[in-house]
Amino acid sequence: MKQRTLWSASLVAGLVVLAGCGSASDPDSASGGSKGKLVVWDWKSGDATASSYVKKAKADFAKRHPGVTVEFVAQPFEQYYTLLGAAIQAGKGPDVMLFNGGGQIRDRVDSLLPLDEYVRDDRKRLAGWEAFTKDSKTYAAPVTLQGHPIYYNKSLYRKAGLDPEQPAASWDEFVADCRTISKATGARCFAQGNKEGIGIQFFLSGLGSGVLSPTEYDDWIAGERDWSSPAVKRVFSLWKEADDKGLNNDGANSTAMFNDAFAVFQSHKAAHVIGLMSDIGHWKDFAEFLDAGNVGVMKSPVVTAGATPSLPYDGGIGYAVAKWTKDPEVAADLVRSLTSTDVLKSFYADAGAIAADRTVDVSSGGPAVATIVSEIDRGKPALHVALPSKTVDLMGRLSQQLLSGSVTVDAAVKQLAASDQAG
Amino acid sequence: MLRLWPLGLGVSFSFTGDGERNGATVGLDNYAELIDDPLFRTALRNVGLLVLLLPVAVAIPGLLATFIYLRVPGHRFFRSVYFFPAVLSPVIVGAIFNLLLAFDGPLNAVLGGSGVGPVDWLGDPDVAIFAVVGVHIWATSGMALVVFLAGFATLDSALLDAARVDGASLARMIWHVIVPGLARTIRFVVVTTTIGMLTSMFGLLYVMTSGGPEGSTYLPEYYIWVQQGQMSRPALASAASTVLFLIMLAVGLLQVGLLRRAGRED
Repeated sequence: MKQRTLWSASLVAGLVVLAGCGSASDPDSASGGSKGKLVVWDWKSGDATASSYVKKAKADFAKRHPGVTVEFVAQPFEQYYTLLGAAIQAGKGPDVMLFNGGGQIRDRVDSLLPLDEYVRDDRKRLAGWEAFTKDSKTYAAPVTLQGHPIYYNKSLYRKAGLDPEQPAASWDEFVADCRTISKATGARCFAQGNKEGIGIQFFLSGLGSGVLSPTEYDDWIAGERDWSSPAVKRVFSLWKEADDKGLNNDGANSTAMFNDAFAVFQSHKAAHVIGLMSDIGHWKDFAEFLDAGNVGVMKSPVVTAGATPSLPYDGGIGYAVAKWTKDPEVAADLVRSLTSTDVLKSFYADAGAIAADRTVDVSSGGPAVATIVSEIDRGKPALHVALPSKTVDLMGRLSQQLLSGSVTVDAAVKQLAASDQAG
Repeated sequence: MLRLWPLGLGVSFSFTGDGERNGATVGLDNYAELIDDPLFRTALRNVGLLVLLLPVAVAIPGLLATFIYLRVPGHRFFRSVYFFPAVLSPVIVGAIFNLLLAFDGPLNAVLGGSGVGPVDWLGDPDVAIFAVVGVHIWATSGMALVVFLAGFATLDSALLDAARVDGASLARMIWHVIVPGLARTIRFVVVTTTIGMLTSMFGLLYVMTSGGPEGSTYLPEYYIWVQQGQMSRPALASAASTVLFLIMLAVGLLQVGLLRRAGRED
């Protein structure tokens, strides 16, 4: 027994002696694809709706670099950043990789190549660059725009005797309309899901421009966030108030945002949902169930006087280049092929995503997409995208605590301020 | 070497920094951050809760095996039914119970019909961890039941017959004959169930609650995954996994101790 205990103790001691040797993430490891081959990681190329997009991008790139093979490796989205994190730590990741805009890419810029000198000519044609920028350097070129429009079900408005073309412009009118709709149709006001804590991100960005003044909004995006301001607190009190007043579907904390909440909206059980502009939960998805003519898009109602509601959007997804790639210029050229106009047209047509390219024609997409696109020029970056991912994660948990009443708005914003400051 | 080297690297990484301090030796900073992190503390508290729930997780398959051994009507059918969930993937089990336990799902419909208000099984922070552990026990008790049935095969049936002749009630037979006779089997099931609860709940947790609501269902494994994959904090994740490793080492030593004691009784 004593000998075995000695062995166990020696093993633990040996492990501790190793302390301090090496690091979990080794930035100096060199690797990447070999010359003549580029490896791309994403979570899109496996989708049927993206196949013609990938095919066209490959063809466009092959015209300019006939000797370079491009291999797409589609990863499952749920595991994507875990797998990418492991690859980055090993220094043996792909040459080109897909990122969501915001915290996910900003947290990993140490491993990425600044693309500014390669994408200079695409600057004006594409929108949404800010979501892929850190410290004035651009690390990815945008493929889609991602935003959080408030979608509404026009048929429920009609059934309730409301004018579906004139949704409420103020919060009080909005709540009154919701009461009318609920009475007439039984549908709730919001399809809300918060099982993963994602609901608050949609709520903050979807309604934030109706609460914060334009100056305060711009300061927030610029990183000067005053968490103690009454308007910021109002967003979080509104979150709780909406649930307390029964505006959300029941059991929001056990309902997932993706799939569940959107299903509630699509099945006429809720009149509004704060959705997306690309991927899922967007105009094209909803149109399959509600008919394109019944899918309305509205801006946030004005909650506090002086607020100027606008469409919240950023670059949605974009391709970045690893700094370990053997030939940065060629890899950047692949990114340019993946974001060229003809290629993005396919992505819009097949997947329904709002492409980052302003020159893509969307006139056949129906009224909802026309409204969204018409608001892009007046739109502003989404509030939650500007936050560090750690703060977003904390905000998810606090949002659940707000709903259950186990934290006050003041205590929640205090914790968020501390997390935001720590970065 | 192949087994110990990765383990050593993991421990080594836990003493380095993340982000801007990447690669720099930071001493015990990561461990200090873990102690300060309420989420990690919740994860450790839940480990304690699992240990407290262990008797339930062992008693359920034990009782079911007893009923089967005592040949309740339809025992062959029940033996298959109880074992069936053991061959299901935790992802499928989680998805099925997500539907059953949804706020507007069938279980709440039944409760509503019987006059009891709906329960937010996966959305109430006081309830969610019990819902997940309950589903885990449902899914894994089949394997423990098989072990118990194997243990019953070694039980001296003459003792049970004698108890019956003496007119002992079922409860007395379980307490005075079956439990002492199955002591070794019970110890084995306790140890394997503990290890299963500490290391095999990730899939179920991921599908059913994603650590929520309010972080109330976090376990160390899930915390490690979030820090490594979502927060890009591999060194902090290494520190958390070292803590989990130490917990598992303690459980492992306990297992060795228990089995040795059981062996001595032979």
